[in-house]
Amino acid sequence: MTTATAPTRSASFDPRKLLRAREAGVFAALVLLFVLGVVLSPSFVQPGNLLSVGQQVAQIGIMAVGATFVIINGEIDLSVGSIYALSAITTGMAIAAGTPWPLAIGIGVVVGAVAGLLNGLAVVLLGVPSFIVTLGSLSIFRGAALLISDGAPISLSSEQPGVAEFTLIGQGRLFGVVPMQLIIFAAIAAIGIILLSRSRLGFNTYAVGGNQESARLVGIHVKRVKLTAFVLSGVTAGIAGVLGLSFLSYVQGVTGTGLELTVISAVIIGGAALFGGSGTMWGTIIGVVFIGLLQNILNINGISSFWQTVVTGLVIVAAVAADTWQRKRKTRA
Amino acid sequence: MTALPPLAERAGTAGATAPAIRIEHLSRSFGPVRALEDVSFDVTRGEVTALLGENGAGKSTLLKILAGLQPPSGGSVTAFGDAVDSYDPNTMLTRYGIAIVPQELSLLPDRSVAKNILAGIEPGNRLFPSRRRMIERAVELLGELDLRVDPDAPVRTLDLATQQLVVVARSIARDCRVLILDEPTAMLTPAESDRLFALMATLKAKGTTMVYVSHRMPEVFQLADRIEVLRDGRHVASWRREEVTPEQAVAAMVGRELGRFTSRAELSPAATAADGRRAAPALRVSGLSGRRHHGVDLEVRPGEILGIAGLPDSGRVELLHNLFGGDKGTGGTVELLGAPYENRSTIASVDRRLGFVPGERRAQGLLTTMSVAENVGVLTVKALTRAGLVRRSAFEKNAATLAQGFRVKTASMDQPITNLSGGNQQKAMLARWIAIDPAVLILDEPTRGVDVGAKAEIYEQLFALADRGVAIICSSSDLPELLTVTDRIAVMAEGRVVDVVPTRAATEESIMTAATGAVTHPATA
Repeated sequence: MTTATAPTRSASFDPRKLLRAREAGVFAALVLLFVLGVVLSPSFVQPGNLLSVGQQVAQIGIMAVGATFVIINGEIDLSVGSIYALSAITTGMAIAAGTPWPLAIGIGVVVGAVAGLLNGLAVVLLGVPSFIVTLGSLSIFRGAALLISDGAPISLSSEQPGVAEFTLIGQGRLFGVVPMQLIIFAAIAAIGIILLSRSRLGFNTYAVGGNQESARLVGIHVKRVKLTAFVLSGVTAGIAGVLGLSFLSYVQGVTGTGLELTVISAVIIGGAALFGGSGTMWGTIIGVVFIGLLQNILNINGISSFWQTVVTGLVIVAAVAADTWQRKRKTRA
Repeated sequence: MTALPPLAERAGTAGATAPAIRIEHLSRSFGPVRALEDVSFDVTRGEVTALLGENGAGKSTLLKILAGLQPPSGGSVTAFGDAVDSYDPNTMLTRYGIAIVPQELSLLPDRSVAKNILAGIEPGNRLFPSRRRMIERAVELLGELDLRVDPDAPVRTLDLATQQLVVVARSIARDCRVLILDEPTAMLTPAESDRLFALMATLKAKGTTMVYVSHRMPEVFQLADRIEVLRDGRHVASWRREEVTPEQAVAAMVGRELGRFTSRAELSPAATAADGRRAAPALRVSGLSGRRHHGVDLEVRPGEILGIAGLPDSGRVELLHNLFGGDKGTGGTVELLGAPYENRSTIASVDRRLGFVPGERRAQGLLTTMSVAENVGVLTVKALTRAGLVRRSAFEKNAATLAQGFRVKTASMDQPITNLSGGNQQKAMLARWIAIDPAVLILDEPTRGVDVGAKAEIYEQLFALADRGVAIICSSSDLPELLTVTDRIAVMAEGRVVDVVPTRAATEESIMTAATGAVTHPATA
């Protein structure tokens, strides 16, 4: 033990710290999974296949960026699947009604933001636990999506002006290779990383999630921090919904049912604790890629999607168990 | 492994003359840190053994081993002649008869006293225990222990002291023969402590062996038959009580003579009080009311340390939270640096250079999942933010400077704050407020759970802050502490300030008399 000495180097540039970090375990598992994929099927490492994995995880990944803020706050957002549908449907209806597509996108994202804001306000002002609030809003937003679309699917016709441009966002590939969705995910993830690890909001997120009362007593706007997290979660769910519509040119009221579970799974596999206060954006990204690779490997080896569901569930439990075991060992060492 | 005969039989045979607990060459390492190193001593049957040591001396580690919460890395424990071969709480209790009363009580708050005492050992059918027999058994047990507690009352409705007695009863109900009490009086009033001591006397008369951990010398010397001292993980002293003085015991704990602290009055004779009177008050409180306090009038001047004394339920803590803006008040006015301060909030207080170090360090002070640097530097974040992003290197430099100023001992600033000892955590809590250059600093129990060495350092720092012109309000249930660090002491009872006295004119007795309501005359501050 020494008295506090000269300032230590910034945490994120220290390679030793990276090895010790909590996400190191998940990353190792990801590498193992990759190796397993290569061994099981040669087509796995084809660039085309890996890029398609990127395409598939992009929407989940975008939502997980927002969900990471909520979970590190010690809260949960179960309504993101419904917000996804609500945003997709409002954007789809707007385009079908002849609204210019950039404005329609804006509408979808704003709908997501407002939905997140409502979740946040209910949590912060009414003091209802977020599990309950978003369990309710999961149903409310889903109902709203079904109501405004009258339960009918919305299909974008490519003859309509603007639809071609709009669908290019979800279906296009940069230089004909890299899926646009993957690029959007990367951009949002980069913003998420900076916000969480570098910004004042990020600092306050960890403070509030670790100990809300302590954070309040050092003058942190606890309510504002939580509200922001729910808005971010709503916005990212909205963006993902709009992307989903753009990708499929099709949406209906039940689209995206159950997405919240995949999103939360990715964040948890990435090492964030549900009690709040710990977790990183890098961990979440690794978690997202892990889920994507896992499903891909099961797919190309011809394993039924029912088994995929089972395996994903096992992985979640195993990931948390490994983390718990590791922490126990650390305290006993 | 062969099954052991029941406890009662064993007591009569092999272990008849063996000590209650024999600890031999016990060691425990956490990675490179040796928390306990080759510790050996006996706990004699039927006696009270006091275990002393600063925070970080290895007491908690030793207790955890004895309670079966973690195994030792080396050495052995023998209970009544039986070598302990399996360290888990249930085995320790049922096979070896060793029970612990932890600092954080683990009761079921919504269940009755009887159910708490007999949970897991309910009389009658396992699945459907007989309610009537449970009450009977609980009444019988509480009677034996001379405890007047309603067995039907939900534990939530009891005060902390009574809950602690229930935990003791719970251990006794499980036939525990060695009871370990870990700083049991830390949260108790003197009257409540006396109830606990009475219970201990009852237990002792019934032959229960006890291990008692406390920082408070008067208690130790009142209760203990033997005194064992740990320092830096080693067993450094062992006495019978009559062989040793409190000063010697403290010296053994800290490794140097540190019997008493230099008081504020000795440091600046007559000067502080006189100087203080000339300056305008930094904080003036009139008629302040809120939860559990009414019509409080107080003043504190720059460079002055005002103590607040009172029993735990006197409304002291609630007053501090109202002042800082953590709780909403119901009336009265606060003037900070000459300007009225209405609509108090924690955020506005930070902006106005009013600081608050709360008494419940873990629940209200620590940012539990963050590093030492982040805990110390939390109040610099706002100033170091450019375009929403925190300037990381400036932040870390600032945090290190603040930590150094308070001599926070840590392996690195990246350590989780929870890795530090209580004393260093508390220094970190104080250090963080220096960042806002506080005009007024409110402290609640500034040295709770802090070892003697860190205590002395914290006192020095408080004096230095006052000398720099900070007005300090220091609330504490530790009367010697108030007499040491303050210039004046306001005594609260039942939500009101009943007396304000210059510290040099006060004694522990005079403060206690006022705090317990024996004398009431209006505040004169």
